[in-house]
Amino acid sequence: MSSRPDPATAPATADEDVAAVHLHEVEHVYGGAGGPVAALGPISLTVPPGTFLVLVGASGCGKSTLLRLVAGFERPTSGTVRTGGAEPVPGRGAGIVFQQPRLFPWKTVGGNVELALRYAGVPRVERARRVPELLERVGLHDVADRRVWQISGGQQQRVAIARALAGDDPLLLLDEPFAALDALTRERLQEDLRRVSAQTGRTSVFVTHSVEEAVFLGSRVVVLTRRPGRIALDLDVGLPRTGVGPDELRALPEYAALRAEVGHAVRAAAA
Amino acid sequence: MTSSPSRSVSADPPSLADGSLTPDEVPEPAGAPHAEGARTVSAPGPRGRRARRIGVRVLSLLALLALWQLAAAAAGNPSFVPAPRAVWDQLVLLSTTHEGVRGYGGHLLVEHLGISLRRILIGSALGVAAGLVLGVVLGAVPWIRLVAEPVVTFVRALPPLAYFSLLIIWFGIDETPKLWLLAIAALPPVAVATAAAVHGAPTGLVEAARALGASRWDVIKDVVLPAALPEIFTGVRLAVGVAYSSVVAAETVNGVPGIGGMVRDAQRYLQTDVVVLGLLAIGLSGLLIDGLLRAAETRLIPWRGRV
Repeated sequence: MSSRPDPATAPATADEDVAAVHLHEVEHVYGGAGGPVAALGPISLTVPPGTFLVLVGASGCGKSTLLRLVAGFERPTSGTVRTGGAEPVPGRGAGIVFQQPRLFPWKTVGGNVELALRYAGVPRVERARRVPELLERVGLHDVADRRVWQISGGQQQRVAIARALAGDDPLLLLDEPFAALDALTRERLQEDLRRVSAQTGRTSVFVTHSVEEAVFLGSRVVVLTRRPGRIALDLDVGLPRTGVGPDELRALPEYAALRAEVGHAVRAAAA
Repeated sequence: MTSSPSRSVSADPPSLADGSLTPDEVPEPAGAPHAEGARTVSAPGPRGRRARRIGVRVLSLLALLALWQLAAAAAGNPSFVPAPRAVWDQLVLLSTTHEGVRGYGGHLLVEHLGISLRRILIGSALGVAAGLVLGVVLGAVPWIRLVAEPVVTFVRALPPLAYFSLLIIWFGIDETPKLWLLAIAALPPVAVATAAAVHGAPTGLVEAARALGASRWDVIKDVVLPAALPEIFTGVRLAVGVAYSSVVAAETVNGVPGIGGMVRDAQRYLQTDVVVLGLLAIGLSGLLIDGLLRAAETRLIPWRGRV
Protein backbone atom coordinates (compact mmCIF):
# COMPACT_ATOMS: atom_id res chain seq x y z
CA MET A 1 0.00 0.00 0.00
CA SER A 2 1.26 3.46 -0.78
CA SER A 3 1.97 5.70 2.14
CA ARG A 4 -0.06 8.83 1.79
CA PRO A 5 -0.40 11.65 4.29
CA ASP A 6 -3.15 11.21 6.80
CA PRO A 7 -6.06 13.29 5.48
CA ALA A 8 -6.41 14.86 8.89
CA THR A 9 -2.95 16.40 8.58
CA ALA A 10 -3.19 17.19 4.86
CA PRO A 11 -3.20 20.89 4.05
CA ALA A 12 -6.66 22.28 4.50
CA THR A 13 -6.16 25.04 1.98
CA ALA A 14 -4.45 24.77 -1.36
CA ASP A 15 -4.20 27.13 -4.27
CA GLU A 16 -5.69 26.33 -7.65
CA ASP A 17 -2.54 24.82 -9.14
CA VAL A 18 -2.30 21.96 -6.68
CA ALA A 19 -6.04 21.54 -6.26
CA ALA A 20 -7.13 17.99 -6.99
CA VAL A 21 -10.20 19.31 -8.77
CA HIS A 22 -10.81 22.84 -9.90
CA LEU A 23 -13.91 24.11 -11.68
CA HIS A 24 -14.14 27.65 -12.94
CA GLU A 25 -17.45 29.10 -14.13
CA VAL A 26 -18.44 25.74 -15.59
CA GLU A 27 -21.69 25.49 -17.51
CA HIS A 28 -22.99 22.52 -19.41
CA VAL A 29 -25.83 22.42 -21.91
CA TYR A 30 -27.14 19.27 -23.57
CA GLY A 31 -28.45 19.65 -27.10
CA GLY A 32 -31.42 17.40 -27.70
CA ALA A 33 -34.43 16.90 -29.92
CA GLY A 34 -36.50 19.04 -27.60
CA GLY A 35 -34.03 21.93 -27.76
CA PRO A 36 -31.02 22.64 -25.57
CA VAL A 37 -31.24 21.73 -21.88
CA ALA A 38 -29.08 23.60 -19.38
CA ALA A 39 -27.87 20.84 -17.08
CA LEU A 40 -25.33 22.57 -14.94
CA GLY A 41 -23.91 25.82 -13.69
CA PRO A 42 -22.43 28.26 -13.71
CA ILE A 43 -20.49 26.56 -10.98
CA SER A 44 -17.05 27.18 -9.46
CA LEU A 45 -15.44 24.78 -7.04
CA THR A 46 -11.95 24.08 -5.71
CA VAL A 47 -11.26 20.73 -4.06
CA PRO A 48 -7.98 20.46 -2.11
CA PRO A 49 -6.14 17.11 -2.11
CA GLY A 50 -7.34 14.63 0.49
CA THR A 51 -10.90 15.92 0.50
CA PHE A 52 -13.79 13.47 0.42
CA LEU A 53 -16.30 15.63 -1.40
CA VAL A 54 -19.90 14.50 -1.62
CA LEU A 55 -22.24 16.11 -4.14
CA VAL A 56 -25.88 15.82 -3.06
CA GLY A 57 -28.99 16.78 -4.93
CA ALA A 58 -32.30 15.52 -6.26
CA SER A 59 -32.33 13.45 -9.45
CA GLY A 60 -31.66 15.45 -12.57
CA CYS A 61 -29.80 18.26 -10.81
CA GLY A 62 -26.70 17.77 -12.94
CA LYS A 63 -24.54 16.06 -10.34
CA SER A 64 -23.73 13.13 -12.60
CA THR A 65 -22.99 15.58 -15.40
CA LEU A 66 -20.53 17.32 -13.10
CA LEU A 67 -18.82 14.00 -12.41
CA ARG A 68 -18.63 13.15 -16.11
CA LEU A 69 -16.99 16.53 -16.73
CA VAL A 70 -14.42 15.87 -13.98
CA ALA A 71 -13.81 12.39 -15.42
CA GLY A 72 -13.15 13.89 -18.84
CA PHE A 73 -15.94 11.97 -20.59
CA GLU A 74 -17.44 15.29 -21.59
CA ARG A 75 -16.21 18.85 -22.15
CA PRO A 76 -18.06 21.73 -20.51
CA THR A 77 -20.03 24.04 -22.79
CA SER A 78 -18.19 26.91 -21.16
CA GLY A 79 -15.74 27.40 -18.31
CA THR A 80 -12.76 25.26 -17.38
CA VAL A 81 -12.34 21.95 -15.56
CA ARG A 82 -8.92 20.95 -14.18
CA THR A 83 -7.85 17.84 -12.33
CA GLY A 84 -4.34 17.91 -10.88
CA GLY A 85 -3.79 21.13 -12.81
CA ALA A 86 -4.55 19.66 -16.24
CA GLU A 87 -7.54 19.07 -18.48
CA PRO A 88 -9.11 15.74 -17.47
CA VAL A 89 -8.72 12.75 -19.81
CA PRO A 90 -10.52 9.45 -19.10
CA GLY A 91 -8.13 6.85 -17.77
CA ARG A 92 -5.54 9.34 -16.61
CA GLY A 93 -5.39 10.35 -12.99
CA ALA A 94 -8.83 9.26 -11.84
CA GLY A 95 -10.42 5.94 -10.91
CA ILE A 96 -14.16 5.80 -11.52
CA VAL A 97 -16.91 3.72 -9.91
CA PHE A 98 -20.25 3.78 -11.71
CA GLN A 99 -23.75 3.13 -10.44
CA GLN A 100 -23.65 -0.32 -12.07
CA PRO A 101 -20.51 -2.41 -11.45
CA ARG A 102 -19.73 -2.57 -15.18
CA LEU A 103 -17.44 -5.56 -14.74
CA PHE A 104 -16.34 -7.55 -17.79
CA PRO A 105 -18.23 -10.85 -17.74
CA TRP A 106 -15.63 -12.60 -19.93
CA LYS A 107 -13.06 -12.12 -17.18
CA THR A 108 -13.04 -13.70 -13.74
CA VAL A 109 -13.27 -11.44 -10.71
CA GLY A 110 -9.49 -11.46 -10.37
CA GLY A 111 -9.16 -10.99 -14.13
CA ASN A 112 -11.14 -7.77 -13.95
CA VAL A 113 -8.78 -6.32 -11.36
CA GLU A 114 -5.79 -7.66 -13.24
CA LEU A 115 -6.92 -5.91 -16.40
CA ALA A 116 -7.13 -2.60 -14.54
CA LEU A 117 -3.58 -3.10 -13.28
CA ARG A 118 -2.42 -3.90 -16.81
CA TYR A 119 -3.97 -0.71 -18.15
CA ALA A 120 -2.23 1.14 -15.32
CA GLY A 121 1.08 -0.20 -16.64
CA VAL A 122 1.82 -2.55 -13.74
CA PRO A 123 4.22 -5.35 -14.81
CA ARG A 124 2.86 -8.90 -14.94
CA VAL A 125 4.73 -10.28 -11.94
CA GLU A 126 3.57 -7.49 -9.71
CA ARG A 127 -0.01 -7.80 -10.97
CA ALA A 128 -0.28 -11.37 -9.66
CA ARG A 129 0.73 -10.11 -6.23
CA ARG A 130 -1.50 -7.04 -6.20
CA VAL A 131 -4.79 -8.61 -7.34
CA PRO A 132 -5.49 -10.45 -4.04
CA GLU A 133 -4.17 -7.45 -2.14
CA LEU A 134 -6.66 -5.09 -3.81
CA LEU A 135 -9.54 -7.53 -3.33
CA GLU A 136 -8.68 -7.87 0.36
CA ARG A 137 -8.65 -4.12 0.70
CA VAL A 138 -12.33 -3.97 -0.31
CA GLY A 139 -13.17 -6.90 1.96
CA LEU A 140 -13.23 -9.77 -0.57
CA HIS A 141 -11.58 -13.13 0.00
CA ASP A 142 -11.40 -16.24 -2.19
CA VAL A 143 -13.46 -14.81 -5.02
CA ALA A 144 -10.67 -14.13 -7.52
CA ASP A 145 -11.45 -17.24 -9.58
CA ARG A 146 -15.22 -16.78 -9.55
CA ARG A 147 -17.19 -15.65 -12.55
CA VAL A 148 -18.60 -12.16 -12.23
CA TRP A 149 -22.20 -13.39 -12.25
CA GLN A 150 -21.48 -15.87 -9.49
CA ILE A 151 -21.00 -13.18 -6.85
CA SER A 152 -23.64 -10.89 -5.34
CA GLY A 153 -24.38 -7.33 -6.46
CA GLY A 154 -22.68 -5.93 -3.38
CA GLN A 155 -19.58 -8.03 -4.05
CA GLN A 156 -19.59 -6.91 -7.67
CA GLN A 157 -19.58 -3.29 -6.59
CA ARG A 158 -16.68 -4.05 -4.24
CA VAL A 159 -14.76 -5.46 -7.19
CA ALA A 160 -15.57 -2.28 -9.12
CA ILE A 161 -14.08 -0.25 -6.29
CA ALA A 162 -10.98 -2.46 -6.16
CA ARG A 163 -10.63 -1.97 -9.89
CA ALA A 164 -10.90 1.79 -9.56
CA LEU A 165 -8.25 1.76 -6.83
CA ALA A 166 -5.89 -0.36 -8.95
CA GLY A 167 -4.38 2.54 -10.86
CA ASP A 168 -3.29 4.32 -7.67
CA ASP A 169 -4.72 7.47 -9.18
CA PRO A 170 -4.79 10.56 -6.95
CA LEU A 171 -8.51 10.97 -7.61
CA LEU A 172 -11.46 8.64 -7.07
CA LEU A 173 -14.83 9.45 -8.67
CA LEU A 174 -17.97 7.62 -7.57
CA ASP A 175 -21.34 8.07 -9.27
CA GLU A 176 -24.07 6.82 -6.90
CA PRO A 177 -22.20 3.53 -6.52
CA PHE A 178 -24.49 2.11 -3.84
CA ALA A 179 -27.84 3.30 -5.19
CA ALA A 180 -28.76 -0.09 -6.68
CA LEU A 181 -27.95 -2.10 -3.55
CA ASP A 182 -30.19 -3.17 -0.69
CA ALA A 183 -30.07 -1.09 2.51
CA LEU A 184 -28.00 -3.50 4.57
CA THR A 185 -25.37 -4.07 1.88
CA ARG A 186 -25.31 -0.35 1.19
CA GLU A 187 -24.55 0.45 4.82
CA ARG A 188 -21.72 -2.07 4.96
CA LEU A 189 -20.18 -0.75 1.77
CA GLN A 190 -20.43 2.81 3.04
CA GLU A 191 -18.58 1.83 6.19
CA ASP A 192 -15.92 0.01 4.24
CA LEU A 193 -15.50 2.85 1.78
CA ARG A 194 -15.09 5.31 4.65
CA ARG A 195 -12.37 3.06 6.10
CA VAL A 196 -10.60 2.54 2.75
CA SER A 197 -10.75 6.25 2.03
CA ALA A 198 -9.26 7.09 5.44
CA GLN A 199 -6.49 4.55 4.78
CA THR A 200 -5.58 5.74 1.32
CA GLY A 201 -6.32 9.42 1.90
CA ARG A 202 -6.95 9.99 -1.77
CA THR A 203 -9.20 12.77 -3.01
CA SER A 204 -12.70 11.52 -3.75
CA VAL A 205 -15.77 12.99 -5.39
CA PHE A 206 -18.89 11.03 -4.51
CA VAL A 207 -22.27 11.72 -6.06
CA THR A 208 -25.47 10.72 -4.24
CA HIS A 209 -29.06 11.74 -3.63
CA SER A 210 -28.96 10.36 -0.08
CA VAL A 211 -28.47 12.90 2.71
CA GLU A 212 -27.54 10.14 5.14
CA GLU A 213 -24.84 8.85 2.82
CA ALA A 214 -23.47 12.35 2.22
CA VAL A 215 -23.05 13.19 5.90
CA PHE A 216 -21.65 9.77 6.74
CA LEU A 217 -19.03 9.72 3.98
CA GLY A 218 -18.11 13.32 3.25
CA SER A 219 -15.40 15.48 4.70
CA ARG A 220 -17.11 18.18 2.67
CA VAL A 221 -20.68 18.21 1.41
CA VAL A 222 -21.91 20.30 -1.53
CA VAL A 223 -25.65 20.53 -2.14
CA LEU A 224 -26.72 21.29 -5.70
CA THR A 225 -29.89 23.12 -6.73
CA ARG A 226 -32.20 21.60 -9.29
CA ARG A 227 -31.40 21.97 -12.97
CA PRO A 228 -29.28 23.77 -14.00
CA GLY A 229 -27.34 22.65 -10.93
CA ARG A 230 -25.64 25.31 -8.86
CA ILE A 231 -24.14 25.27 -5.39
CA ALA A 232 -26.86 25.70 -2.76
CA LEU A 233 -24.74 24.77 0.24
CA ASP A 234 -21.02 24.12 0.70
CA LEU A 235 -20.24 22.63 4.05
CA ASP A 236 -17.07 21.33 5.73
CA VAL A 237 -17.92 18.32 7.83
CA GLY A 238 -16.05 18.45 11.11
CA LEU A 239 -16.69 14.83 12.05
CA PRO A 240 -13.67 12.65 12.91
CA ARG A 241 -12.41 10.58 9.91
CA THR A 242 -10.64 7.88 11.91
CA GLY A 243 -10.83 6.23 15.29
CA VAL A 244 -14.61 6.29 15.54
CA GLY A 245 -16.83 3.35 14.73
CA PRO A 246 -19.76 3.84 12.37
CA ASP A 247 -22.38 3.45 15.08
CA GLU A 248 -20.59 5.84 17.42
CA LEU A 249 -20.34 8.31 14.55
CA ARG A 250 -24.04 8.12 13.77
CA ALA A 251 -24.80 8.64 17.46
CA LEU A 252 -22.87 11.91 17.71
CA PRO A 253 -25.07 14.99 18.24
CA GLU A 254 -23.03 16.85 15.58
CA TYR A 255 -23.93 14.09 13.13
CA ALA A 256 -27.65 14.58 13.67
CA ALA A 257 -27.30 18.35 13.39
CA LEU A 258 -25.37 18.05 10.10
CA ARG A 259 -27.88 15.60 8.71
CA ALA A 260 -30.71 18.02 9.54
CA GLU A 261 -28.87 20.94 7.95
CA VAL A 262 -28.01 19.09 4.74
CA GLY A 263 -31.47 17.55 4.54
CA HIS A 264 -33.06 20.96 4.86
CA ALA A 265 -30.79 22.37 2.15
CA VAL A 266 -31.54 19.48 -0.23
CA ARG A 267 -35.30 19.91 0.21
CA ALA A 268 -35.07 23.69 -0.21
CA ALA A 269 -32.88 23.30 -3.33
CA ALA A 270 -35.23 20.81 -4.94
CA ALA A 271 -38.33 22.93 -4.33
CA MET B 1 -29.69 -4.17 -38.43
CA THR B 2 -30.03 -7.89 -38.93
CA SER B 3 -29.65 -9.08 -35.41
CA SER B 4 -33.15 -10.47 -35.33
CA PRO B 5 -32.63 -13.42 -37.69
CA SER B 6 -29.39 -14.31 -35.92
CA ARG B 7 -31.14 -14.19 -32.54
CA SER B 8 -33.76 -16.67 -33.66
CA VAL B 9 -31.06 -19.23 -34.36
CA SER B 10 -29.59 -19.15 -30.87
CA ALA B 11 -32.15 -21.53 -29.53
CA ASP B 12 -30.56 -22.24 -26.18
CA PRO B 13 -30.82 -19.53 -23.54
CA PRO B 14 -28.56 -20.05 -20.54
CA SER B 15 -30.31 -22.58 -18.35
CA LEU B 16 -32.36 -21.02 -15.60
CA ALA B 17 -31.15 -23.38 -12.93
CA ASP B 18 -27.58 -22.39 -13.68
CA GLY B 19 -28.21 -18.67 -13.47
CA SER B 20 -30.22 -18.64 -10.27
CA LEU B 21 -27.67 -20.53 -8.23
CA THR B 22 -25.50 -18.16 -6.29
CA PRO B 23 -22.24 -19.58 -5.02
CA ASP B 24 -23.37 -19.18 -1.43
CA GLU B 25 -26.35 -21.43 -1.93
CA VAL B 26 -24.64 -24.35 -3.63
CA PRO B 27 -21.37 -25.60 -2.22
CA GLU B 28 -19.54 -26.75 -5.31
CA PRO B 29 -17.09 -29.61 -5.30
CA ALA B 30 -13.68 -28.16 -6.07
CA GLY B 31 -12.88 -28.16 -9.76
CA ALA B 32 -16.37 -29.16 -10.86
CA PRO B 33 -17.79 -26.87 -13.52
CA HIS B 34 -20.69 -24.79 -12.34
CA ALA B 35 -23.29 -26.29 -14.63
CA GLU B 36 -22.37 -29.75 -13.42
CA GLY B 37 -23.11 -28.78 -9.85
CA ALA B 38 -26.46 -27.38 -10.87
CA ARG B 39 -27.40 -30.55 -12.68
CA THR B 40 -26.76 -32.89 -9.78
CA VAL B 41 -28.93 -30.77 -7.51
CA SER B 42 -31.99 -30.87 -9.74
CA ALA B 43 -31.39 -34.27 -11.34
CA PRO B 44 -34.75 -36.08 -11.52
CA GLY B 45 -36.78 -33.35 -13.28
CA PRO B 46 -34.54 -32.63 -16.28
CA ARG B 47 -33.55 -36.27 -16.70
CA GLY B 48 -37.18 -37.37 -16.96
CA ARG B 49 -37.90 -34.55 -19.37
CA ARG B 50 -34.88 -35.52 -21.42
CA ALA B 51 -35.97 -39.14 -21.69
CA ARG B 52 -39.42 -38.01 -22.80
CA ARG B 53 -37.90 -35.66 -25.37
CA ILE B 54 -35.77 -38.43 -26.84
CA GLY B 55 -38.81 -40.74 -26.85
CA VAL B 56 -40.88 -38.20 -28.78
CA ARG B 57 -38.09 -37.76 -31.30
CA VAL B 58 -37.68 -41.50 -31.89
CA LEU B 59 -41.44 -41.88 -32.29
CA SER B 60 -41.70 -39.07 -34.80
CA LEU B 61 -38.77 -40.53 -36.72
CA LEU B 62 -40.53 -43.91 -36.89
CA ALA B 63 -43.73 -42.23 -38.01
CA LEU B 64 -41.80 -40.43 -40.72
CA LEU B 65 -40.29 -43.72 -41.93
CA ALA B 66 -43.75 -45.30 -42.01
CA LEU B 67 -45.11 -42.39 -44.02
CA TRP B 68 -42.20 -42.70 -46.41
CA GLN B 69 -42.85 -46.41 -46.84
CA LEU B 70 -46.52 -45.68 -47.52
CA ALA B 71 -45.66 -42.98 -50.04
CA ALA B 72 -43.26 -45.31 -51.84
CA ALA B 73 -45.90 -48.01 -52.00
CA ALA B 74 -48.53 -45.56 -53.25
CA ALA B 75 -46.20 -44.18 -55.92
CA GLY B 76 -45.37 -47.69 -57.07
CA ASN B 77 -42.34 -46.40 -58.96
CA PRO B 78 -38.91 -46.65 -57.26
CA SER B 79 -37.48 -44.04 -59.66
CA PHE B 80 -40.04 -41.58 -58.35
CA VAL B 81 -40.14 -42.44 -54.64
CA PRO B 82 -37.63 -45.08 -53.57
CA ALA B 83 -38.54 -47.17 -50.53
CA PRO B 84 -36.49 -46.83 -47.33
CA ARG B 85 -35.20 -50.32 -47.87
CA ALA B 86 -33.76 -49.39 -51.31
CA VAL B 87 -31.97 -46.40 -49.83
CA TRP B 88 -30.56 -48.61 -47.09
CA ASP B 89 -29.29 -51.07 -49.70
CA GLN B 90 -27.58 -48.23 -51.53
CA LEU B 91 -25.94 -47.18 -48.26
CA VAL B 92 -24.48 -50.66 -47.89
CA LEU B 93 -23.52 -50.81 -51.57
CA LEU B 94 -21.87 -47.40 -51.60
CA SER B 95 -19.91 -48.11 -48.46
CA THR B 96 -18.26 -51.23 -49.87
CA THR B 97 -16.60 -52.59 -53.01
CA HIS B 98 -18.98 -54.76 -55.02
CA GLU B 99 -17.98 -56.76 -58.08
CA GLY B 100 -14.88 -54.63 -58.52
CA VAL B 101 -16.82 -51.36 -58.24
CA ARG B 102 -15.78 -49.20 -55.36
CA GLY B 103 -18.68 -47.20 -53.85
CA TYR B 104 -20.09 -44.69 -56.32
CA GLY B 105 -17.92 -43.49 -59.20
CA GLY B 106 -14.88 -45.09 -57.61
CA HIS B 107 -15.31 -43.47 -54.21
CA LEU B 108 -17.03 -44.68 -51.06
CA LEU B 109 -19.90 -42.66 -49.62
CA VAL B 110 -17.74 -41.47 -46.70
CA GLU B 111 -15.09 -40.32 -49.15
CA HIS B 112 -17.63 -38.27 -51.09
CA LEU B 113 -18.87 -36.80 -47.87
CA GLY B 114 -15.36 -36.24 -46.50
CA ILE B 115 -14.25 -34.31 -49.56
CA SER B 116 -17.35 -32.13 -49.42
CA LEU B 117 -16.82 -31.52 -45.70
CA ARG B 118 -13.23 -30.52 -46.40
CA ARG B 119 -14.45 -28.02 -48.98
CA ILE B 120 -17.04 -26.67 -46.55
CA LEU B 121 -14.43 -26.43 -43.81
CA ILE B 122 -11.84 -24.57 -45.88
CA GLY B 123 -14.38 -22.41 -47.71
CA SER B 124 -16.29 -21.33 -44.66
CA ALA B 125 -13.07 -20.84 -42.65
CA LEU B 126 -11.90 -18.38 -45.31
CA GLY B 127 -15.31 -16.73 -45.45
CA VAL B 128 -15.56 -16.50 -41.66
CA ALA B 129 -12.08 -14.99 -41.34
CA ALA B 130 -12.77 -12.39 -44.02
CA GLY B 131 -16.26 -11.72 -42.66
CA LEU B 132 -14.86 -11.15 -39.19
CA VAL B 133 -12.36 -8.55 -40.37
CA LEU B 134 -14.92 -6.89 -42.63
CA GLY B 135 -17.51 -6.92 -39.85
CA VAL B 136 -15.22 -5.22 -37.35
CA VAL B 137 -14.37 -2.53 -39.90
CA LEU B 138 -18.03 -2.11 -40.87
CA GLY B 139 -19.08 -1.86 -37.24
CA ALA B 140 -16.33 0.51 -36.18
CA VAL B 141 -15.99 2.93 -39.13
CA PRO B 142 -19.24 4.69 -40.03
CA TRP B 143 -18.30 5.88 -43.54
CA ILE B 144 -17.11 2.43 -44.60
CA ARG B 145 -20.38 1.00 -43.35
CA LEU B 146 -22.20 3.59 -45.46
CA VAL B 147 -20.34 2.48 -48.60
CA ALA B 148 -19.91 -1.26 -48.07
CA GLU B 149 -23.10 -2.34 -46.37
CA PRO B 150 -25.25 -2.32 -49.55
CA VAL B 151 -22.55 -4.37 -51.29
CA VAL B 152 -22.66 -7.02 -48.57
CA THR B 153 -26.46 -7.12 -48.66
CA PHE B 154 -26.31 -7.37 -52.48
CA VAL B 155 -23.97 -10.37 -52.37
CA ARG B 156 -26.12 -11.96 -49.69
CA ALA B 157 -29.18 -11.74 -51.91
CA LEU B 158 -27.45 -13.56 -54.81
CA PRO B 159 -28.01 -17.30 -55.10
CA PRO B 160 -24.58 -19.05 -55.11
CA LEU B 161 -25.32 -20.73 -58.45
CA ALA B 162 -25.65 -17.30 -60.03
CA TYR B 163 -22.11 -16.22 -59.34
CA PHE B 164 -20.67 -19.69 -59.74
CA SER B 165 -20.62 -19.21 -63.52
CA LEU B 166 -18.46 -16.15 -63.07
CA LEU B 167 -16.12 -17.99 -60.71
CA ILE B 168 -15.70 -20.79 -63.26
CA ILE B 169 -14.79 -18.28 -65.96
CA TRP B 170 -12.23 -16.77 -63.62
CA PHE B 171 -10.80 -19.79 -61.83
CA GLY B 172 -11.50 -22.84 -64.02
CA ILE B 173 -13.31 -26.00 -62.90
CA ASP B 174 -11.05 -27.42 -60.18
CA GLU B 175 -11.02 -26.76 -56.43
CA THR B 176 -10.45 -22.99 -56.55
CA PRO B 177 -13.90 -21.84 -57.76
CA LYS B 178 -15.61 -24.24 -55.31
CA LEU B 179 -13.72 -22.81 -52.35
CA TRP B 180 -14.38 -19.27 -53.57
CA LEU B 181 -18.07 -20.00 -53.85
CA LEU B 182 -18.29 -21.36 -50.30
CA ALA B 183 -16.18 -18.51 -48.92
CA ILE B 184 -18.34 -15.88 -50.62
CA ALA B 185 -21.49 -17.58 -49.37
CA ALA B 186 -20.14 -17.80 -45.80
CA LEU B 187 -18.84 -14.25 -45.58
CA PRO B 188 -22.03 -12.12 -45.39
CA PRO B 189 -23.68 -13.77 -42.34
CA VAL B 190 -20.50 -13.37 -40.30
CA ALA B 191 -19.84 -9.84 -41.56
CA VAL B 192 -23.38 -8.68 -40.81
CA ALA B 193 -23.51 -10.29 -37.34
CA THR B 194 -20.07 -8.96 -36.41
CA ALA B 195 -20.84 -5.46 -37.68
CA ALA B 196 -24.08 -5.32 -35.70
CA ALA B 197 -22.41 -6.56 -32.53
CA VAL B 198 -19.40 -4.26 -32.83
CA HIS B 199 -21.63 -1.31 -33.61
CA GLY B 200 -23.83 -2.10 -30.62
CA ALA B 201 -20.93 -2.59 -28.19
CA PRO B 202 -22.12 -1.97 -24.62
CA THR B 203 -21.26 1.70 -23.99
CA GLY B 204 -21.12 1.21 -20.23
CA LEU B 205 -18.34 -1.35 -20.50
CA VAL B 206 -16.48 0.65 -23.15
CA GLU B 207 -16.61 3.67 -20.87
CA ALA B 208 -15.43 1.61 -17.90
CA ALA B 209 -12.43 0.40 -19.91
CA ARG B 210 -11.59 3.92 -21.02
CA ALA B 211 -11.84 5.08 -17.41
CA LEU B 212 -9.22 2.46 -16.52
CA GLY B 213 -6.84 3.84 -19.13
CA ALA B 214 -7.47 1.40 -22.00
CA SER B 215 -6.16 2.47 -25.39
CA ARG B 216 -8.36 2.42 -28.48
CA TRP B 217 -6.96 -0.97 -29.45
CA ASP B 218 -7.36 -2.26 -25.88
CA VAL B 219 -11.04 -1.33 -26.01
CA ILE B 220 -11.57 -3.26 -29.25
CA LYS B 221 -9.55 -6.27 -28.10
CA ASP B 222 -10.70 -6.49 -24.48
CA VAL B 223 -14.28 -5.18 -24.63
CA VAL B 224 -15.81 -4.86 -28.08
CA LEU B 225 -14.74 -8.25 -29.46
CA PRO B 226 -15.51 -10.34 -26.36
CA ALA B 227 -18.87 -8.59 -26.07
CA ALA B 228 -19.54 -9.34 -29.75
CA LEU B 229 -18.42 -12.96 -29.57
CA PRO B 230 -21.85 -14.51 -28.85
CA GLU B 231 -23.36 -12.80 -31.91
CA ILE B 232 -20.29 -13.56 -34.00
CA PHE B 233 -20.66 -17.21 -33.09
CA THR B 234 -24.28 -17.17 -34.20
CA GLY B 235 -23.05 -15.63 -37.45
CA VAL B 236 -20.54 -18.44 -37.82
CA ARG B 237 -23.23 -21.05 -37.37
CA LEU B 238 -25.34 -19.34 -40.00
CA ALA B 239 -22.31 -19.14 -42.30
CA VAL B 240 -21.53 -22.83 -41.98
CA GLY B 241 -25.19 -23.52 -42.69
CA VAL B 242 -25.08 -21.41 -45.83
CA ALA B 243 -21.83 -23.07 -46.94
CA TYR B 244 -23.52 -26.41 -46.38
CA SER B 245 -26.46 -25.56 -48.55
CA SER B 246 -24.13 -24.14 -51.21
CA VAL B 247 -21.90 -27.19 -51.48
CA VAL B 248 -24.28 -28.93 -53.87
CA ALA B 249 -24.21 -25.85 -56.08
CA ALA B 250 -20.40 -25.76 -55.87
CA GLU B 251 -20.22 -29.38 -56.99
CA THR B 252 -22.52 -29.09 -60.00
CA VAL B 253 -19.44 -28.73 -62.19
CA ASN B 254 -16.70 -31.36 -61.93
CA GLY B 255 -17.99 -32.26 -58.50
CA VAL B 256 -17.03 -35.94 -58.25
CA PRO B 257 -15.71 -36.92 -55.76
CA GLY B 258 -18.05 -34.93 -53.56
CA ILE B 259 -21.46 -35.59 -52.10
CA GLY B 260 -23.07 -32.87 -54.25
CA GLY B 261 -21.44 -34.22 -57.37
CA MET B 262 -22.63 -37.70 -56.45
CA VAL B 263 -26.23 -36.51 -56.07
CA ARG B 264 -26.05 -34.72 -59.38
CA ASP B 265 -24.65 -37.72 -61.24
CA ALA B 266 -27.25 -40.00 -59.67
CA GLN B 267 -29.98 -37.61 -60.81
CA ARG B 268 -28.70 -37.87 -64.39
CA TYR B 269 -28.99 -41.64 -64.30
CA LEU B 270 -32.29 -41.54 -62.41
CA GLN B 271 -30.79 -43.36 -59.40
CA THR B 272 -33.28 -41.79 -57.07
CA ASP B 273 -32.26 -43.97 -54.12
CA VAL B 274 -28.71 -42.60 -54.37
CA VAL B 275 -30.08 -39.06 -54.55
CA VAL B 276 -32.09 -39.59 -51.39
CA LEU B 277 -29.12 -41.22 -49.69
CA GLY B 278 -26.94 -38.23 -50.59
CA LEU B 279 -29.53 -35.81 -49.21
CA LEU B 280 -29.72 -37.77 -45.97
CA ALA B 281 -25.92 -37.79 -45.68
CA ILE B 282 -25.75 -34.01 -46.19
CA GLY B 283 -28.57 -33.27 -43.77
CA LEU B 284 -27.37 -35.57 -41.01
CA SER B 285 -23.78 -34.40 -41.15
CA GLY B 286 -25.09 -30.83 -41.08
CA LEU B 287 -27.04 -31.56 -37.92
CA LEU B 288 -23.94 -33.09 -36.37
CA ILE B 289 -21.73 -30.13 -37.22
CA ASP B 290 -24.24 -27.60 -35.91
CA GLY B 291 -24.42 -29.62 -32.70
CA LEU B 292 -20.62 -29.51 -32.40
CA LEU B 293 -20.62 -25.76 -32.99
CA ARG B 294 -23.27 -25.27 -30.32
CA ALA B 295 -21.32 -27.35 -27.84
CA ALA B 296 -18.21 -25.32 -28.62
CA GLU B 297 -20.23 -22.15 -28.12
CA THR B 298 -21.37 -22.97 -24.58
CA ARG B 299 -17.81 -23.98 -23.78
CA LEU B 300 -16.06 -20.97 -25.23
CA ILE B 301 -18.59 -18.28 -24.34
CA PRO B 302 -19.90 -18.94 -20.84
CA TRP B 303 -20.89 -15.28 -20.53
CA ARG B 304 -23.46 -15.49 -23.34
CA GLY B 305 -26.58 -13.61 -22.25
CA ARG B 306 -24.82 -11.93 -19.36
CA VAL B 307 -23.45 -8.80 -21.01
